[in-house]
Amino acid sequence: MDDFNLLKMTLSFLVAIFGSLCSGVSSDEGSWSDEEIQFAVSVHPLLVEKCFPCHGADSNKIKGELNLTSRNGWLSGGGSGKPAVISGDAGASVAFFAVQRVDPDLAMPPKENDRLNASEVRSLKEWIDSGLVWVDEADRLAIQKTHSSGEVVLTSGGLSEDWSRRSYDPEKLWAWRPHGHPIPPADPFDISCHPVDRFIHQAIEEKGLKPVPRSSRAHWIRRVTFDLIGLPPTNEEVEDFVSDPDLDPISFERVVDRLLASSHFGEHWARHWLDVTRYADSSGLANDYARGAAWRYRDYVVRAFNEDLPFEEFVTEQLAGDELHDVATADNESTKDPEWLMASGFLRMGPWELTGMEVAKVARQKFLDDATDIVGQTFLAQPLQCARCHDHKFDPIPTRDYYRFQSVFSTTQIADREAPYLKKENLEGFEEEQVLRERLKRFEKILADLKTKEIEAGKLWAQERSLSYISRAEGIRQGIDDSKLPPKNVGFEPKDYGMERIARKGMERLRWELDRYQPYAMSTYTGATPSRNSIYTPVRLPNDRSKGEWEETAILTGGDPFSPSAKTNPGGLSALENFNPDLKSISFPMTPEGRRLALAKWITHPQNPMTSRVFVNRVWGWLMGQGIVKSANNFGSTGSLPTHPELLDWLAQDWISSGRKPKSLIRKIVTSETYRRASLDVKSSDSDSVEAGSGLWATFPSRRLSSDELRDAMLAVSGDLNFEIGGIPIRPEINMEIAMQPRMVMGTFAAAWQPNPEPARRHRRSLYAMKLRGLSEPFQESFNSPNSELSCERREDQVTASQVFSLMNSRFTYQRAVGLALRVIKEAGLNEEKLGDLDVEEKHEIVQRAGHIAYGRRLEMWESQALLDHWDAMTAIHTENDFPKFKYPLEVTREAAEENTGEKFSFTEPLEFYREFQPDPDMADVAVGVRGLAEVGLVLMNSNEFLFLD
Amino acid sequence: MSQPILKAKIQGSSRREFLFGLGASLGSVALTQLLADETGSTKSPHLHPKAKRCIFLTMEGGPSHIDTFDPKPKLAELHLKEFTRSGKRKSAMESGKRYYVQSPFDFHQVGQSGADMATNWSNLAKVADEICFYRGLQVDSVNHPTALYQLNTGNRFAGDPSVGSWVQYGLGSENANLPAYVVLPDVSYPQGGAMNWGSGFLPASYQGTALRSQGSPILNLDPPPGVTGKMQRTNLDLLNRLNQSHAEERQEQDHLLARMKNYELAFRMQMSASDVFDLSLEPKSARRLYGVDQEPTNSFGRKLLLSRRLLERGVRFVQVYCGTWDSHDYIHRAHGALVKQVDQPIAALIQDLKSRGMLEDTLVVWMGEFGRSPDNGVRGGVAYGRDHNPKAMSVWMAGGGVRSGATIGATDETGAEAVEEVHHIRDFHVTLLRLLGLDDNRLTYFHSGRFKQLSQFGGKPIESLIRS
Repeated sequence: MDDFNLLKMTLSFLVAIFGSLCSGVSSDEGSWSDEEIQFAVSVHPLLVEKCFPCHGADSNKIKGELNLTSRNGWLSGGGSGKPAVISGDAGASVAFFAVQRVDPDLAMPPKENDRLNASEVRSLKEWIDSGLVWVDEADRLAIQKTHSSGEVVLTSGGLSEDWSRRSYDPEKLWAWRPHGHPIPPADPFDISCHPVDRFIHQAIEEKGLKPVPRSSRAHWIRRVTFDLIGLPPTNEEVEDFVSDPDLDPISFERVVDRLLASSHFGEHWARHWLDVTRYADSSGLANDYARGAAWRYRDYVVRAFNEDLPFEEFVTEQLAGDELHDVATADNESTKDPEWLMASGFLRMGPWELTGMEVAKVARQKFLDDATDIVGQTFLAQPLQCARCHDHKFDPIPTRDYYRFQSVFSTTQIADREAPYLKKENLEGFEEEQVLRERLKRFEKILADLKTKEIEAGKLWAQERSLSYISRAEGIRQGIDDSKLPPKNVGFEPKDYGMERIARKGMERLRWELDRYQPYAMSTYTGATPSRNSIYTPVRLPNDRSKGEWEETAILTGGDPFSPSAKTNPGGLSALENFNPDLKSISFPMTPEGRRLALAKWITHPQNPMTSRVFVNRVWGWLMGQGIVKSANNFGSTGSLPTHPELLDWLAQDWISSGRKPKSLIRKIVTSETYRRASLDVKSSDSDSVEAGSGLWATFPSRRLSSDELRDAMLAVSGDLNFEIGGIPIRPEINMEIAMQPRMVMGTFAAAWQPNPEPARRHRRSLYAMKLRGLSEPFQESFNSPNSELSCERREDQVTASQVFSLMNSRFTYQRAVGLALRVIKEAGLNEEKLGDLDVEEKHEIVQRAGHIAYGRRLEMWESQALLDHWDAMTAIHTENDFPKFKYPLEVTREAAEENTGEKFSFTEPLEFYREFQPDPDMADVAVGVRGLAEVGLVLMNSNEFLFLD
Repeated sequence: MSQPILKAKIQGSSRREFLFGLGASLGSVALTQLLADETGSTKSPHLHPKAKRCIFLTMEGGPSHIDTFDPKPKLAELHLKEFTRSGKRKSAMESGKRYYVQSPFDFHQVGQSGADMATNWSNLAKVADEICFYRGLQVDSVNHPTALYQLNTGNRFAGDPSVGSWVQYGLGSENANLPAYVVLPDVSYPQGGAMNWGSGFLPASYQGTALRSQGSPILNLDPPPGVTGKMQRTNLDLLNRLNQSHAEERQEQDHLLARMKNYELAFRMQMSASDVFDLSLEPKSARRLYGVDQEPTNSFGRKLLLSRRLLERGVRFVQVYCGTWDSHDYIHRAHGALVKQVDQPIAALIQDLKSRGMLEDTLVVWMGEFGRSPDNGVRGGVAYGRDHNPKAMSVWMAGGGVRSGATIGATDETGAEAVEEVHHIRDFHVTLLRLLGLDDNRLTYFHSGRFKQLSQFGGKPIESLIRS
């Protein structure tokens, strides 16, 4: 440093000290200098957010010995001995160089995502250039109170005072504020008086655009049928609607009402909800145990949508159904409802287990964190996990609130509880239990045989040592010296160790599966936390719910369950209560019982503005391609702002005033003109028009069918779809490679995937397909079905090559194509062996039929001709080709490395369900002409018109 | 559809997404080539890369450091000495009555560097000077799937993108004809299943493609028996006609075009990809080197030979599983058998990469999800095994940019805990990315309210592992 700079620094240092002394004594409001105000309002909060986390906030973890929480710290620097800044000269200051990120190795803050934006860089520069004016805390807070341009939000209090006092960009607090009461504007285009359209049209007009024309009736009915029930419309439904002489609103509403009344409506909307709540039929993690009773939660959700359950009941039952049930039981009310127990499975949908290999308290904490976060995301669109270890970085959620929220669950325990079957539940297919019982017997026999082998070897062992034989277990009981007892597993060969484990663990796993056929609900209860190290069998309700530890929630330092600090009481999000004081009327009990009921009241309180916005936005997004707030699970400041905030509030208000039932909301949206737009381009001379049009709904966004819709549509087209509702999970045929792929679970291998033997059973809707966390079903996975680990707000529809392979090459597609061919031949009353005798007209009729089924419209002449030509061409090729018949296995031999010995061994797993397997007709089973026609079907099912909705 | 039209269609803001999504996906082949003159399918690394590609040898189950690369003579003294361990942070597995177990393996020092190695790694000993052994690593989880998830994704709980996905996301693909991130699982999938190579919250095209050792290497890559290339071509031609007509009214809908193109590319790939998987194209000498066609090395040798073919052709990240090393009992037999399967192929891979001049820009990583305990629980008889140990493990790296011929870090005298140059696995992840020219702090993706990264919340590279 040259003398000049040194002098400059010293001078400005003195000036600044003098300055800060002055500010220290001045307490008159309004007598602050501009620099002081600037520091308190803009600079200090910036330092708190960007610098202090590594340089001072935590005195134990100061990076580079550089503490920046005082002015002196900036000037004296850190371990390098050099000052971080030269007061009065930003250009010569290392810290300023660092924030400009010129040199990536010397960029501060280190994370790219924390980089200062241009105005922040400017503030910092001005601060340094004007001599590092520093204001102490009391004055800072006083200035912030009077001069802050941002908004300070009152909360239960952050871990630091600075956090509590920080201010927020008012715009980003929109979700926390009470609803506005917007009045739908006049429609600038004079097209519609529907409130939704009036909001939407206003925004389109403001962009200087025009909405595109309506879609055709044929396109619209396909769209609305998939959107409401997840299935394609039948040809009759399309024709009835297209030719309906009734005027627009009447005929459209008739379709909507028919679909809303369909029991498939609940199935499709349950699919959306189960994506958010992460439904699966297994636990994931090490064991991936079956969750035998999970299906009853799934069916509960289906019924809730079908029965148009008011939202407060839907929320309350999922959060606290068991409490409702237990209160009703205590009151001896006859209304106690098994459905409530099923609903409470919601809190247990995440992956979870407790093995002896992990620390029980850590696993328990994982459950609590999961419950806290998923409730936040699902109902409030607040991923609360962000506030687990520190006060929320961007939103007014202090860590204290996180643990207040978590206190609600501290008395929540898991149990699969008895819940008698209801009349409305589907109990078909339970006979498959017998196959699992047979498997159980087989395992029992393996263990018995090994026991015999061990006894024989033990006797020999004793004989060789001239001892009298006593079994090891009995000997230990009698306290006999170990050296006189036969060793454990004496006489075992490597394979025996493997088989013993496979049988023992297999039985353990079956216990979870067999619960599927028993009247249990995956549920919770309120009670003390039982002391246990592991869970290897389904948990039942304890006789004494108070046995164990009554957990007292405390703020956990760093999220570590072994580092509790201040205790917390149950409560909601304090900032929301301060924005909406009516919420304070909900009191959270300190007693163990009723905490979740209170939370449900708090969440569903009509004055809780988030809940209704969140649900309304989800529904909008599921219908309209994207939410008014794109980030449906995140209404925080890192999420998106609403594109149409007034519409969102109007919808929320309207929904509340009409009783918060899902069907009225859906009906409102799909009867709008906006929902009837064609998915055409926004025509404009402006080259940016498409971009400008996105999120405006000037045109309707086209979408690909989801993985579930696609499979269901293919089954519908081939005439195989079984429309039955509800029941135990079904098992479709999946790629044999994946079905037979050995899969390690704790201590053994998971059983092979075996499809249901009866075609009708395995051809039920995708909603019912067993979802195992440890096994990705390739078709579903390649078409972007979400995993069940993270809450899915919206499905992706990315294009990947595996989609082509799945749809062009899989046996599933070929079977559907053959099914379609057989179906049209049968419907035309023809004989599949005599297709060669048909004349051209008859053949046209056949391909027309196939096209009509796939697309829901009559084909154009050229299309019909093209399909016909293809049929002929492919039949000719097929005449020269042989299809080998697919062989279904009756057992699978597994090569495995034995865990104890590392030695390879093999074992045979019988595939019981294949004994009576009824295959779907495949290419090898049908005449050449049918095969040719199936190729036509294959192409139709691969085509964009089949996969995309206009 | 002619190329210029397609190009014109994907201008605008969606183009980036289009490119990144497809550019990295399996069949995006020619599309990326098509656009290569404009942007290229590879992406520039953040930093100067020391390696261009990585092969990650995942020893699933947790190999014992004490019985491989970190000898503990002290355990011979303590052998079978009983003690009791308790502690609220201990799982049931680690608590209660314990006894110490000495290693059943002999050790010697190998190479010029004098690296410690159990003598049963006789082949690896020959390339010891290429390797940087590291004994300071620690992880959070004491159980398999959570520890394996952490090794693969940085997060103990499934759902985050795997290392390979992040690398592909950061570096793109070098050969559009092949997936950029390939996984060669063992006979059975590890605990936690395919989520170990999932793309998590990154777009689906970044997930690892698991190759199958039998039948078609990629699921559904080949049509069912009986379907010929000619049939498929004829089908594709009709499909194109239908799709083109459908697209005419929908000019601006990128996704329709992308999907049409994707069919052509997938078809071409199906026709051409089988080459790379055909090990019979390798000379006898190479097959012998890797131990192909002989037991017990055949299976792992095939995987590593295939891996080299993949790496050679521009695959960015290959992950090879071998397991299970979870030797709670009879560690002598269990580890002994596994070492016999992997020792020769691994040494062959290093030698082979070196002789082809590929070692200098290929990063080879060998590790499991944790190390093992110096002691065992009394589980009915003394079966000389070891339990899980997240506090100490041995990992090693070779090739691109690592400090070869060094042993870094140390564990305490029984191998219970790392005590020198101790780092959390997040730092190892940062190091791995750094060697590939990626900065963990810049390799981020916005999800669930924040920018997420492999190290979760940031880490620092372990400089001592990097060749200066």
